[in-house]
Amino acid sequence: MSAPDEDNSSDHTQLASHFFGELLDSVIMDVASECHRIARLGLDRNLDDEEEELRLSAQARAKVADPSNSEANSKYVVDIFGQTHPAVANEIFDCMNCGRSIVAGRFAPHLEKCMGKGRKARVKSTRSSTAAAQNR
Amino acid sequence: MLVRLGFKMRGSIKRPPTPDAEEEEEEDREATLEQIINIKLISSGEKERLKEVLRERLNECGWKDEMKSLCRSYTRKKGRNNVSVDELVHLITPKGRAAVPDSVKAELLQRIRSFLLHSTAL
Repeated sequence: MSAPDEDNSSDHTQLASHFFGELLDSVIMDVASECHRIARLGLDRNLDDEEEELRLSAQARAKVADPSNSEANSKYVVDIFGQTHPAVANEIFDCMNCGRSIVAGRFAPHLEKCMGKGRKARVKSTRSSTAAAQNR
Repeated sequence: MLVRLGFKMRGSIKRPPTPDAEEEEEEDREATLEQIINIKLISSGEKERLKEVLRERLNECGWKDEMKSLCRSYTRKKGRNNVSVDELVHLITPKGRAAVPDSVKAELLQRIRSFLLHSTAL
């Protein structure tokens, strides 16, 4: 007779496969039953819309990832609300520091100069700020 | 008066000589072992636990979604009210069996085998 260990493991393997098959068939049966219920109750109406959305978003993602698009289309890029944005922001308002009319897109560099220079090259430090710097 | 001679004599009269008889007995023994293990699996609750693990793994890896999508496209073609559970089972069984990831199958087989080791060692 062959070694008992070998017999055991091959028996076990066969048995294990048999029970795995049973479990899998049972799960399959559950899934089929669930799908049947969904179909008969018409619960899958929304799923078609979801699928369409998934498809469109995958399409959009592919478009964005495509390198050939980025250079040519940057001026015509559209955001999720369907709006296009110019490279430099258009709005004009008044700077609260110096009172001048500034284009929003140029505001940050303006502020750098406006607050950094004033009358002289850099802001005159107040006593509190110099004291704090010295105490470090 | 009717005398019923209904009792069968097991053994040499009906059965051919030794080798085949041994085979038949072995088969009976194997079937019984399977049944015994099945009872142990069920009564210990292990079968249900294993099924839960399998369900979870198959869900995580998208297998269930695949099967559901197959069912949906079949249903769309045939018509919502023209499909039976049987049809769906026949539809997804071959694909379902083939689409189980190896890692999932290995994990379940490992668990079952370890149960077998512990239950047959007694």
